[in-house]
This record gives sequence, C-alpha cells and structure tokens, in this order.
Amino acid sequence: MFSRTVLSSCKRASKACLFRRLATEASAAPEVAQVDAALSKKTTRPNLHTGVILNRSPIITRTPTAFEKAYYAYQSRIHRALHNPFPYDFYFKQGSPLEARFDIEERRRERKAFGAPFGMQTGETSEAEKLAEATMRDEEEAMPRVHEADINSDFKNLHRRGQRNLYLLLQKQENGMAVWKFPQGSVDRGELLHHAATRGLEVECGNNMDTWIVSRNPIGVFHPPSPASRGGAEEDVVFFYKAHIMAGQVRPNRTHAQDFAWLTKGEIKTRVDEDYWLGIKDMLSDF
Amino acid sequence: MTYNHESGIPPSPRQIRLTYDPNDPYTKNRHNPPVGGSQAGKKPAPPTTSENVVRLEKIVINSMIKEALTNRSNLLGLIAAFRAISGDTEGGGGRPSSDGVQIVKGKKNVGGWMRPGLPVGAKVELKGPKMYDFLSTLVEFVLPRIREFPGIVMPPASSTMKSPSGVAGVVSFGLPPEAMGYFPQIEVNLDSYPKSYGMHIHFVTNAVGLGAQNRARALVSGFQIPFTRK
Repeated sequence: MFSRTVLSSCKRASKACLFRRLATEASAAPEVAQVDAALSKKTTRPNLHTGVILNRSPIITRTPTAFEKAYYAYQSRIHRALHNPFPYDFYFKQGSPLEARFDIEERRRERKAFGAPFGMQTGETSEAEKLAEATMRDEEEAMPRVHEADINSDFKNLHRRGQRNLYLLLQKQENGMAVWKFPQGSVDRGELLHHAATRGLEVECGNNMDTWIVSRNPIGVFHPPSPASRGGAEEDVVFFYKAHIMAGQVRPNRTHAQDFAWLTKGEIKTRVDEDYWLGIKDMLSDF
Repeated sequence: MTYNHESGIPPSPRQIRLTYDPNDPYTKNRHNPPVGGSQAGKKPAPPTTSENVVRLEKIVINSMIKEALTNRSNLLGLIAAFRAISGDTEGGGGRPSSDGVQIVKGKKNVGGWMRPGLPVGAKVELKGPKMYDFLSTLVEFVLPRIREFPGIVMPPASSTMKSPSGVAGVVSFGLPPEAMGYFPQIEVNLDSYPKSYGMHIHFVTNAVGLGAQNRARALVSGFQIPFTRK
C-alpha cells in the first residue's frame, strides 16, 4: 500500500514518523486514494438484523439410561436396608386408613427393591386395608411419556418430544426458494437490539404467545452471504437472541412465513441450509 | 448475565505493601499480610474453568428459639421438625457424611441472655441427593403457598458488591413460622408438633471473588426460586 520509497527511507522510523510522512505527502495521489477507500469501506454500516431462537424447554424429565437406572436402584436398596427405623406411631394413628394405605405402598416398594420374598403380606388384610386398596384401584394412572403428537409426527404441537429442547423454525421464501430459518427481523435506526428482537418476533409469529427474551445481550452472531446484486460493499449481520416460550402458539404472518415447526437440534439440521447450519449449530442445546 | 466485559488490557494489580518489613530479622518469619484488610472484595473473580463452575455445595437450615434459653426441652419440637424436613440423621442411610440435626449452642457471653454452651437452636446441613430433594419440596410445595411471597429480596442495585456477603457465594433467606406447615412431611401430622417455627435457609455455593453472590443468585434462580428487589 505504501510506496517502497517511503518505507526504505525510514526503515527504523517510528510509527509517528510514518504518519507524519503520509501527512506531508498528501499530494501523492494513489496512496491517499487507497487509504481513503479503505477508511470509507470501514465506515459503511452493516445492515443489522435480529433473530430469535425461541426455545420450548423440556416438560418431562429425561429417561434414565440403563446404567443410571441400575445405579439408582442399587443406591435405593442400600438406603432401604440401612435407614433408621421409621417412627410409625408419630405419623399414623393405629388402624387409620392412612396407615393402611402407607403399608400397602411400602410393601410394594419392598417387593420392587428386593424381590418376591420381601414385601409379602403377613396375616390377613384388615378392613382398612381393603378400603385403601379399593381407593387406590380407582385412582388414575400416570400419563404416558409419549404424547400423541409424537405418534402422529405433528411438528406444530408444543407437546411433542417432551424430554427435548424444541426450537421454532419458520419456512420463508427467499429468491423463489423455500428455506427454513429462525424468526428474523431488521433493526430500525436508533432501536435497541433486544427491543428489535421482541418486535421482530411479534411481527413474524403473532402476539398469541407468552415469550421471554432471556437477556439484553445476544447469544450469537451470523454473517449471511450477501447476494451478488448488492455488491460486496453492503454487509448483513444477524444477532441471535435466546427466548423461551411459556404459553400460547405461533400464528405465522403469511407475508413473512408460510409454515412453522417446533424441531429438535437434529431435525433442524435436516431442514436448514448448510452454511446456516454451521452458523447456528453451536447456539442450540444438544438434548 | 453475570459477565462484565473489560475491553483492552486490564491494568496490572496494585502492589500493596506488607505489614512488616520482610528483611527485618525481628519480623522476618511473622505472618505478613498486605495492609488494608481482606483483599477478598477487591480482586476480580478467578477465570471460569471446568472445575470452577458454580455449583450448589450444601443447603444449611437453622433456627434459633428464644424459649430454649429458659427450658432446653423447648428445642425438641424444632429438632423433630428439622428431622422430618431434612430426612437426615447422623450416619443415616449408610452415609458417613451425614451429620443429621445439630444443636446450636451459644458462643459468647452477652449480658442478660446468652452464655457459652447454652443450647439455643438447631441446624441441619444438607448435601447431595437429599439437598436436591429438599430444594424441590421447597419450590413445589412451600414457596407457592406462602402468602404474597415476592421472592428472595435482593439489596438495591446501587449497593456495593464488595461487602463480605457479596463476596461469599451464599444466598440466604428466611421462612415464616406458617411455612413450616406447608412441608408435606410436616403437614401430614402438624398437630403432633407443639409449635410452628420459622427458619433461615442458606444456599452455599462454590462461587468466590467479586460478584460471587450474583453468580450464586443466578444459580439459585435456575432452580425456580424467584428474586425481587426491595
């Protein structure tokens, strides 16, 4: 960039010396023009956009692995064998239905922990125990861990894949092609980024959701490839914000998005473009 | 959330003089700290490493009973309640690390009401799975039922974080006596207890350095315990 004559004449010169030379040689046109162009390139502002990674947190606990199950079963057997004697008289009145119910449940737990000879009933069932058994039979069972949305592969349902983190993806039209992306919006002049994120989410997904953007600070940045029509000068930057959905559902704005889906990280990888995936994959939770 | 960005090179830390001259043979082997008191609140927090991540180490529940000063059998109800809440006894369940419910005795001579060795309260230290069981009971059963519970109160934003409590990674709050009856282990036979007692709950984490209490609060709020300003 600087001409060779300038450099050779002040090889061990300080930085100030070089700058002073540049200032006095203002008439040297090509270097100044290059410097000017470099400075003006850096002062053009990139176009700011905010994207929102709307996350539905897991609603049921993870299924323990076989090792975890074996470990917890072993530990609970140790505790069951070594615990201090339970003060029945302090908690239950003699012959009360609560005591009968506790006895039935406790026998079940013994049988489950140690196997058949343990937890078998000694003597005959009392009246209270028969009543307690009847009430326990009438009680509802726990809900299954697999929701019907999983069976039907309903990607819009917020109850699918209860153990996993789900993220909202919108199908948008870009250059005539349908692409899947996170909700994204532009930033107005003078608007704060996190306000722009909230506004952009409301514009694209409607206001029928109870969402919470976690922080004023973004969690990631993405530089989409700028289209050739605009030239290399203009630059787009997308700042991503993490948000949680607590209630409600997406109502996509038809002008911005045609379709939406709540997807896990692996499912996002199959739908999204290659370079977009490389830009966003590290912001998403693995499980 | 608790990250404060410093751009550029941080200034080198001040070299604070030692209390005694290390070369003077009279004071050479003396304990020689830098002047100005504890440096705990003045140094920035150590950088985060994988060993350093903020963790809940233990939960300590304690309560002081004024009536126990006159008659020590007034502590029995409290000890039974803590036993039920914590589910812990000394060495119970084959765990040698468990200390169970411990009686707190007076340490100082305060004219009129305290002598050293006087049993005046009880405390339990919960660690491991029992700690998380207690935490989930608190979050699911007790806190939602307290009347107008706003959350754990935080000092105003303008207050300094350099106080000893701001630099220890401990979050503390208290429960009113009514809250004792909301624990399911106590609710089932609440009339067996002579009286309901309030208690202090301290979440002890391994956060250290400047801003440790903020990081501890961030951790505790992740366990679904709300926080609020005064």
